[in-house]
Amino acid sequence: MNEPDREYSSPPRGKRVALFVTCLADLFRPSVAFASIKLLEQAGCEVSVPLQQTCCGQPAYNSGDYEEAVPLAQQVITMLQDADYVVVPSGSCAGMICHHYPKLLEGVWRERALELAAKTFELTVFLNDIAQIKPSKHKPSHNISSVAYHDGCAGLRELDIHDQPRQLLQKLCGIEVSELQQSEVCCGFGGTFCAKMPEISGKMVDDKLNDVLATGADMLAGGDLGCLLNIAGRARRLGEKIEVRHVAELLYQDLDTPAIGEGD
Amino acid sequence: MSTSARSEIFARLRDINHQASAERIELDRQALGSAPVPKPPASEICEAFLVNVLKNKGSADCVSNRAEAVAAIGHYIYSHFRSHRLVAGNDPRLAAMPWRDAGVLPRFGRLEVGEPVALSFAQLGVVETGAVMTWTGKSNPAANNLLPEHHIVLVDTTDLVPDMEHAWGRIKQEIDQNGPPRGINFIAGPSSTADIEGQLVYGAHGPRKWHVILMGKVPAEALSRARTIAGV
Amino acid sequence: MEQHSETFLDNASAALKNSAQAERRDVIAAFAPLIRSAAIEGFDEFDNLRKHIKRVRQHSLDHLEYYLGQFEYQAVQNGNHVHFARNSDELNSTVLDICQQHDAKRIAKGKSMVTEETGLNAFLQSAGLEVMETDLGEYIIQQAGETPSHIVAPALHKSADEIRELFQSKHDLGPRELPETVDLVSEARDILREHFLQAEVGIIGANALIAENGYSMLVTNEGNGDLCANLPRVLIVCTTIDRVLPLAQDATAMLRLLVRSATGQAQTCYTSFYSGPRRESDLDGPIETHFVLLDNKRSDILASDYREMLECIRCGACLNHCPIYSSVGGHAYGWVYPGPMGSILTPLLTSLEQSSALPNACTSCGRCAEVCPADIPLPDMLRDLRHEENSQKLSAGRWRLGLKVHAWLARHPKLYHALTGLAISTLHLFGHKRGSFVRLPMAGGWTSQRDFPAPQGKTFMQQHQARLKRIARQQNEH
Repeated sequence: MNEPDREYSSPPRGKRVALFVTCLADLFRPSVAFASIKLLEQAGCEVSVPLQQTCCGQPAYNSGDYEEAVPLAQQVITMLQDADYVVVPSGSCAGMICHHYPKLLEGVWRERALELAAKTFELTVFLNDIAQIKPSKHKPSHNISSVAYHDGCAGLRELDIHDQPRQLLQKLCGIEVSELQQSEVCCGFGGTFCAKMPEISGKMVDDKLNDVLATGADMLAGGDLGCLLNIAGRARRLGEKIEVRHVAELLYQDLDTPAIGEGD
Repeated sequence: MSTSARSEIFARLRDINHQASAERIELDRQALGSAPVPKPPASEICEAFLVNVLKNKGSADCVSNRAEAVAAIGHYIYSHFRSHRLVAGNDPRLAAMPWRDAGVLPRFGRLEVGEPVALSFAQLGVVETGAVMTWTGKSNPAANNLLPEHHIVLVDTTDLVPDMEHAWGRIKQEIDQNGPPRGINFIAGPSSTADIEGQLVYGAHGPRKWHVILMGKVPAEALSRARTIAGV
Repeated sequence: MEQHSETFLDNASAALKNSAQAERRDVIAAFAPLIRSAAIEGFDEFDNLRKHIKRVRQHSLDHLEYYLGQFEYQAVQNGNHVHFARNSDELNSTVLDICQQHDAKRIAKGKSMVTEETGLNAFLQSAGLEVMETDLGEYIIQQAGETPSHIVAPALHKSADEIRELFQSKHDLGPRELPETVDLVSEARDILREHFLQAEVGIIGANALIAENGYSMLVTNEGNGDLCANLPRVLIVCTTIDRVLPLAQDATAMLRLLVRSATGQAQTCYTSFYSGPRRESDLDGPIETHFVLLDNKRSDILASDYREMLECIRCGACLNHCPIYSSVGGHAYGWVYPGPMGSILTPLLTSLEQSSALPNACTSCGRCAEVCPADIPLPDMLRDLRHEENSQKLSAGRWRLGLKVHAWLARHPKLYHALTGLAISTLHLFGHKRGSFVRLPMAGGWTSQRDFPAPQGKTFMQQHQARLKRIARQQNEH
């Protein structure tokens, strides 16, 4: 597969960024989208939110329904073609756009998919590597003692996201991440996998949760809501008191919103 | 069975792939070149070989000539078995060694069940892997590699090759001169298994100990430096 | 081998409930990736090696007819009998014929996944032959009447205690208790040594066939395969047609990938190349040697979009790095090949219908592809198999329908936003106090294991659109 050209020359001050909210943030956790917008603005970008957005097509694609995934991919490509940059607060949805659209589509659409892939970035990659966000003048309002980080698999392996969220947490919030022992192992979410093979998924998320708890951290952050809903849901089920949040909320210091799975 | 299965399988393969001339195919393969080789653990060839022998859980010794070799072998078998006997293949290089000087009593031929020690003179030592290589024949019955409790292998420093590609170069000379040997055996350690709970145990089916004696111009301190690098 | 892949989910469920085995799997899952990464550390060109071997494998498969023909010619020149088998039955009966021609009663067998695939042992045994597996792991599971749970380490699912009990019940131990692992290994060594010395026929597999010189390559640590290849008077090498490589150096270059990926070594203790029967100058070795080369759908795979799967070198790294394999173990997959490679090979070598759960036993986490020394895009292939299942309507109808409805809705943004807005508000209404649901209609799979976190309130798009309207109104007012 051709790797999309990800070279860039100047930081995108004043560049127009289209936010691809992702369906999970749209439906379950709008605070992730709001935090993303604020962070992008803090980094000097002009943010727009295309109104036609729904879903990137991953559920159909991963379930093998390529025929349904193709028109969704085309819809997303058309919707985002005019943006200078596209930013996605999810490694797996960004991976879908950057790596899987070009595999799924053919001919002219494949070319267009590669063009989109070249300007699409996951949020922490964009903030850290492209926009090179500076800390805000306000001191971090919350004192968070220790945070564990969950690397979503698609982000880690398809987009090489590892250092960026850690550097941002350090730079913007003064947080050093407590590392998991098995940080490269999947949490068992896997989209429809968790519902199709619940027992296996349950074992995997248990392992992940135990790894998180063993760090002694009182918060878990991550860049993918699918994984976080999974881990937070398991923590709630077992009555474990770990606060689970999307990294954008933490970077924006929006800690008044109840954590994932927490009541009002 | 055979003829129809054969012709059907070949016909199928012919259908699936594009046809090309033998010449074209061989040229295409040549164009792919050779594989990268891992860097040796030391720049000096004897030292690098010894590091890998030790990493393979072999024991090692260095001698400068045949008299020292015989003495080292005699010492090894006496210290492990309180014996002066061993079995060695009908290798003319071994037959010509001064056994009597060290009081060693070799029997030349194939190892019989119950004989605990065999000695082989390797055709090659491979620096890349720390393996010794023998090909089967009068000099090297396969049983002598596989059935003893302890396998002692003598390697001449002039027979060290840097990697497997060079090993094949030497083997090809042999094939061209004397026809293909029945078996070509690279040995890189005592027989081992981790089949029970992943726990590494030596002496699975073959030798429990593998002792390599490097003979020739070995730089002083090569073995002790190799031990440091290999961490043994 | 008998197949039980249809019941993957039940097999997995039973495996998860066996807590002792699950614990051992966890230990191995933590350990195996470490020895692999230690083995390639400092080998800077590992990735270039991977690319080189990929090109060589592609080239050999592109010209398989040529190289297979060349191998056959060389092997016959070297004094071998070369047989071809279209399917398992043909391989099994070819091997039996050879054994019967030599009046053989005892067979010593090296580890061979291909003969597991064809069910050779059971076939030979039903003809009255005594077949002894000689790889320690294979020997253990043969004695236990089980099947391999891993393609490299077939008995890793058993504890030392279980193996001790097995030997106590199967061997005449007298007062010996075999307290340590090393005692268990010694016990098997003694039993099998006897068998090696008595067997009339040795059967081994091959890690590669070399076209230029007609040699086969055999890689082991125990040396059992070499004993099979050298002591009995007849040797039969059973492997598949796709194993052929052009040059000798290609086989040993592949070895650099294989061994590091499989066991974390630079080379196994024994790497052997065999060309044929005993020569005049030989003091030992078989007097007659055979190759039985099996197709069993490899040519179908070659003609399909899954051709790259033939580049698999059977190292087991994808098993060792797969969180699903390490959760449920190899037996759950219900056939010879487990884990990611098995979830692709099993449908291709048996049928997708019989094994439709396997391509779904994947979260697309990509760890297998990352470590695969053959650089096979395993998650992509698994997804392609799900695509076939979807097209052939082999997947559950309610899932297919649900995903179609979702996709249709997602193509109609206005309707999508209106309906999701309604649904999310309802969920929020019932869930915001507690923050998550313990049970939820149509989400039984999710809530069987974990709570379902409640949404925060209105959807982002609802809030965003309301904000846009507000801004527009304010601008109008000014």
